[in-house]
Amino acid sequence: MSDRPRPPISRRRLLQASALGVPGAWVLSSCARAQPLGSPAPAASAAGGSASAAASAAASAPALTEIPIASPQNPVKWPINPGNEPIASGLEPEMNATLRVYNYPDYLYKRVLKDFQEEYADYNVKVELSTFNDISEALTKIRSGSVPFDVGFLTYNNMGRLVYGDLIRPLNHDYIPNINDMWEEFQNPFYDQGWQYTVPYTIYTTGIGWRHDLIPEDIGARPNPYDVFWDTKYAGSIAVLDDDREVIGMTILRNGGTDVNTGDPALLGQTRDSMLEMLSLSRPRVTITGYTDIPEGTMSLSQCWSGDLITGQYYLPEGVDPALLRYWSPPTGQGLIGNDFLCVLKGGENPVMAHHFLNYMLKKDVAIKNFGWVGYQPPLRSLTPETMVADGYIPANLAAAIVKPEWFQVGYPLLELPVAVEGEYQAIWQQFKSGG
Amino acid sequence: MPDRTSRFIWPILGLPGMVWIALFFLVPLYVVFCVTFGTVDPIFRSPVPAWNPLEWRFEQVLVVWDRLVGPNNFYLPPVLRTLLYVVVAVVACMIIAFPVAYFTARYAGQHRALILALLVAPFWISYMMRMLAWINLLQPDGLVNFMITLGGIIPLNVNWLSGNPFTVVMGLIYGYVPYMLLPLFAALDRISPSLIEAGRDLGASGFELFRRVILPMSVPGIVAGTLLIALPMMGDYFTSDMLSKSPSTSMIGNLINLSIGTPGQSGQAGALLILVLLVLLAPMIWYTRSNVKSEVRS
Repeated sequence: MSDRPRPPISRRRLLQASALGVPGAWVLSSCARAQPLGSPAPAASAAGGSASAAASAAASAPALTEIPIASPQNPVKWPINPGNEPIASGLEPEMNATLRVYNYPDYLYKRVLKDFQEEYADYNVKVELSTFNDISEALTKIRSGSVPFDVGFLTYNNMGRLVYGDLIRPLNHDYIPNINDMWEEFQNPFYDQGWQYTVPYTIYTTGIGWRHDLIPEDIGARPNPYDVFWDTKYAGSIAVLDDDREVIGMTILRNGGTDVNTGDPALLGQTRDSMLEMLSLSRPRVTITGYTDIPEGTMSLSQCWSGDLITGQYYLPEGVDPALLRYWSPPTGQGLIGNDFLCVLKGGENPVMAHHFLNYMLKKDVAIKNFGWVGYQPPLRSLTPETMVADGYIPANLAAAIVKPEWFQVGYPLLELPVAVEGEYQAIWQQFKSGG
Repeated sequence: MPDRTSRFIWPILGLPGMVWIALFFLVPLYVVFCVTFGTVDPIFRSPVPAWNPLEWRFEQVLVVWDRLVGPNNFYLPPVLRTLLYVVVAVVACMIIAFPVAYFTARYAGQHRALILALLVAPFWISYMMRMLAWINLLQPDGLVNFMITLGGIIPLNVNWLSGNPFTVVMGLIYGYVPYMLLPLFAALDRISPSLIEAGRDLGASGFELFRRVILPMSVPGIVAGTLLIALPMMGDYFTSDMLSKSPSTSMIGNLINLSIGTPGQSGQAGALLILVLLVLLAPMIWYTRSNVKSEVRS
């Protein structure tokens, strides 16, 4: 009789072993944070946050449907949660602080950070920069509290989450006098009335960037410049931004719409069909690296942010004339427009130094030095859009990348969306990125 | 006494491995299940795992199922595309690796270690760096185009990085070929030269010898190599992201990666991951069973 191989584990044994999984699951659930759904994360910090304050904020957190959505038509003044009051005036910055700054990659000139350390050398401050790839990753990490970030470079379509999640600290304006040099729009922005929590960082439009030697066409002269993304002539050599809101918003504008935050199913269905048509006609790549790919010639044309092409000059291969770079966004300002902001995060350990850092970033010479490297324009009063080319901040061929204050009255910002609508946008984006 | 020692020595020696598997495979897998069948934080849209299986919910799985086989089945093209890419890449890896492994095993003599080391050497560099190098080589004015156009003499303008499926499959082949090479080498190296000589003595031609002796005896190596490269290829997203960036070459791995990064969609990522796991489980079980059977036969 042949000896049958013994099964590695009998069914009875398997069941017995599975029974061990029950206490295992219990252990895992014990490790999970004891936090009710939708409640703010307990972001207690050494600098003033407390577990009880977080718990009280949790109790006061509304359901998501009750969180207001800020828009230019519906400006929002956010509440200040109990226990999360601004720091007192007149405090000395923390000594020997490690100021943890959290930002997108390549979105802050490191020289500026070194200068800040030198300016505050008496306090022996050290600035540590960490980066995130997208806002979802940033929020997850900030919430986890694993790193006590002091300063965040974030976007306004997450203000509700930041405030009701008790993740940001209200500002004490006494520490930030340089706000006076910012455009008036940003001293009382719709997404943060009374600038209680944020100060502006950069402003931008979303448009089309290209290298004129590779696409020898005046894209802006087309009846509808956005049509270039549906043009088979450029199939395989163009790209759109790897950002669902930007691509959906651009497609809505291309189709003649203006509500880039629409929840209308019919309009969204039409937008999805247009995006799938774009896929079949021009096979665009989906990337946010246009600021290097266009100058290097890996890609000829891309949907991009205005700052991308300005910084793109520094990525041109040797011998390529910077005058070949082009940018287009609607010259009337009726296109996608936005800004990012700086805020003090509640979990940080150095709130006073963080306030000083915000004020420092708004200083004219610092903001301009940073602009020279990141390519994104700060909304400085002293930086006049009309003279930016003459003053040598921006080359004439990229004059269209200059953002004007009045455009914030007519442009289309991408706002926070209700959850159900956000789900629709995500489904469209997944279908698009699946290849249709 | 020796019986009692041997009764305990093997389980004790196996204990670290079992603990490792429990900690770094079973527990994470259970977490994936809990995320997939859990809920979502209504404010942050981050996953809220359901640790108790009695509380598991199946909405996200149904969403994925609907997108696979429902009327709007837009997950299906990337799934089919992935299968196609993986099959082509595995076959190509085999065609490339087999002669190299055979030569190294049979004819390299004392230099076999050196040859193997040289073959594997490029793979000491990280996968990302190698893909970045390919991006440079494949650029419109890169070395590859320079060579195939004979320095620009032939008017051929190939854009390898414009969402070209060939480029993605080539990247997969390049990235995974050594993992096919090593098991093949191990299998071919085990074939006794006397068996090959016996085949020749019995009048087998070169092709007959390959078909009736070498190929059957290298099957364990082929199967091991195929599984070793097909499994990670099925979940690969990086190659397409680096060399294409185009939705037209999206693979399952790209869908999973996109879902993980999208607020509120971690459950769908988990459901897709479980789907891949189930698809891969079948060949794994078949491989394990066939190994057990061949051990019994031998």
